Amino acid sequence: MNAINFSCQGESHIATGKVCQDYSYSKVYENGNAIAIVCDGHGGKRYFRSDIGAKIAAEVTEQKVTAFIEAVGTTLLSGTKLTERAAISTQIDNREFDKQSPTERAFRQLFGSIIYEWNILVAEHAKATPISEEEKSGLEERWITEFEKGDSLEKVYGCTLIVYASTPAFWFAFQIGDGKCFAVDQNGNWSEPIPWDERCFLNKTTSICDSGAIDEFRYCYEGDGGFPMAIILGSDGIDDSFGAEENQENFYVQILKSLVKEGLEATITEIETTLPQLSKIGSQDDMSIAMVYNQSQIDEAYPRLIEWQICNVKRQIADENEKIAKANKIQQTLDSVEHPTRQNIIDLQYANADEKRAIESRSKLQGRLDTLLVELNGNVKEEISEKDEVCDSEEVAKNENIAPVTEDSDEDLSTDTSEEQPAE
Amino acid sequence: MSLLDEQVSVPRRTMTLFFLIDTSGSMEGSKIGAVNDAVANVLPMLDEISAENPDAEIKVAALEFSSGVNWLYSEPKLASDFVWQDVKAGGLTSLGGACAELSTKLSRSGYMQSASGSFAPAIILLSDGGPTDDFESGLAKLKGNNWFKAAIKIAIAIGDDADKDILKQFAGNSEAVFTVHNIDALKQIIRVVAVTSSQIGSKSSTAGDTTKQEQVIEEVKDAVENIKGAEAATAVDSSSYDDDWD
Repeated sequence: MNAINFSCQGESHIATGKVCQDYSYSKVYENGNAIAIVCDGHGGKRYFRSDIGAKIAAEVTEQKVTAFIEAVGTTLLSGTKLTERAAISTQIDNREFDKQSPTERAFRQLFGSIIYEWNILVAEHAKATPISEEEKSGLEERWITEFEKGDSLEKVYGCTLIVYASTPAFWFAFQIGDGKCFAVDQNGNWSEPIPWDERCFLNKTTSICDSGAIDEFRYCYEGDGGFPMAIILGSDGIDDSFGAEENQENFYVQILKSLVKEGLEATITEIETTLPQLSKIGSQDDMSIAMVYNQSQIDEAYPRLIEWQICNVKRQIADENEKIAKANKIQQTLDSVEHPTRQNIIDLQYANADEKRAIESRSKLQGRLDTLLVELNGNVKEEISEKDEVCDSEEVAKNENIAPVTEDSDEDLSTDTSEEQPAE
Repeated sequence: MSLLDEQVSVPRRTMTLFFLIDTSGSMEGSKIGAVNDAVANVLPMLDEISAENPDAEIKVAALEFSSGVNWLYSEPKLASDFVWQDVKAGGLTSLGGACAELSTKLSRSGYMQSASGSFAPAIILLSDGGPTDDFESGLAKLKGNNWFKAAIKIAIAIGDDADKDILKQFAGNSEAVFTVHNIDALKQIIRVVAVTSSQIGSKSSTAGDTTKQEQVIEEVKDAVENIKGAEAATAVDSSSYDDDWD
């Protein structure tokens, strides 16, 4: 196994003189275990030490996960199929919790121990580090008073947490708050194994500093011998730069391909160069990734990674073709209208504009497809049809099922209206 | 190889500006004429904001409500593309129906994209009266919608007959309700609210802990001081203007 992590200050933080509030960590241990962690400190003024809270959360988590792995040994998760658990607080009632198995209880204990230790350490930090004049500037008086009294200290240090850990026998991942965890298997199929929490929406998130944080953890685990080829954790600064999931997965494919073609050092350098650029052209937020991967499997899966990209581009070309067909249908209908109304004229204008955009986009995508086909087949560019078996409709449907879209919820599940803050 | 080569798409995020326009019978005449004129004239300004903003592109959607509800187009259009079609007044005031319809479209299966690729929408409600349908249940549905909750919401009360309490319920607080008393003020406030909401709503960074809605309210309040015949919420109960819609 191998591991990489990197965090950088976001473009908007550079502009406003804010420190990077993300923290990431990764490690491969001598015994073959591996861990990746991403923490994202909250951005609101009240959370003025969230960068420190994020670092503490990562450090505490590494210790507690290591202890957890030692304590549970190989028996607890042995033979367990991939199991996903949503946050208890998003379930309709708590009955499911009453029925929890020893595995669920063990994970709950792990989450409880992380929260407990994190709270102790942030309280110690607050005690040892009085609030400075610089920190006071711009803070509401009540927050200063609260801090000086030692009340609600956890809010000052609030952050999110995403973790992946693996041993030779099993792996698990857990999360509280936003950011995403993507996994890819040896067939090049992507998935998000940790269930999403609908309370993480736009700039709202659940948080380790929430009073009911233990019920907000969601997680997954597997002990039947199945392992992701690579798992990549990213803070929401990355999600927000890509929008649709397939754009983000495509970026991660680029990283994996770079690991195969350019090697570890060059890829790390490339990540360090790219993430600040991505922040600039994308979300402007702090950026973090942490990943654990199997190099020999990636080497072997290289053609399938390209095939995934080919499928992705073909899907997009199909979408553009659909738009063109829709526009053409409107054009044909309206062309035959003898005395067009103003509405007809406007609709025709829209159809023409939509068609033009779709043709331009398709042409760009065709260029991408050609490049990928050459990459896959050496210098021989195959006809599209020859590669159609790679992503025929069944395969596309299968891939779409494996990598579920995180559909947003219309229903509000959060309990607080605070802006840019935890949803608790 | 570069990680951000031609194979990678980093799309611009989207901010959708919704106009909810009361086209009931009482809007007939100069009021609806002013609304048509003002919205048509503000669209090129929104296009400019969108073009100059690397963070996000601005899309526009418009819903008119009278005895029923009707979207001007079946999907939000880029500000650069939006062709305003004059709306006509007549009928009742189905504001409850408009709330329910808006809630349906504020979803990924409606007009919104992935939350990761979007900014919260901005919603501008214009009305000169009170609802004639079941406003409460429509609003209740809307208030349970995550997009609506995160949205910048501003209501423009057209004249003293507008039910400001209803508008306050829609926008979330009385400070988000602005009242106008004449045609010129109506035109100006539509421009100011649409431009300010688009500017603030489509930016990545916010000013500290102040919400985007609060920022819009503050800026519009400042602008209102210089618009004769327009008032911020604080003056709603003691209006210094008489309505003049001739």
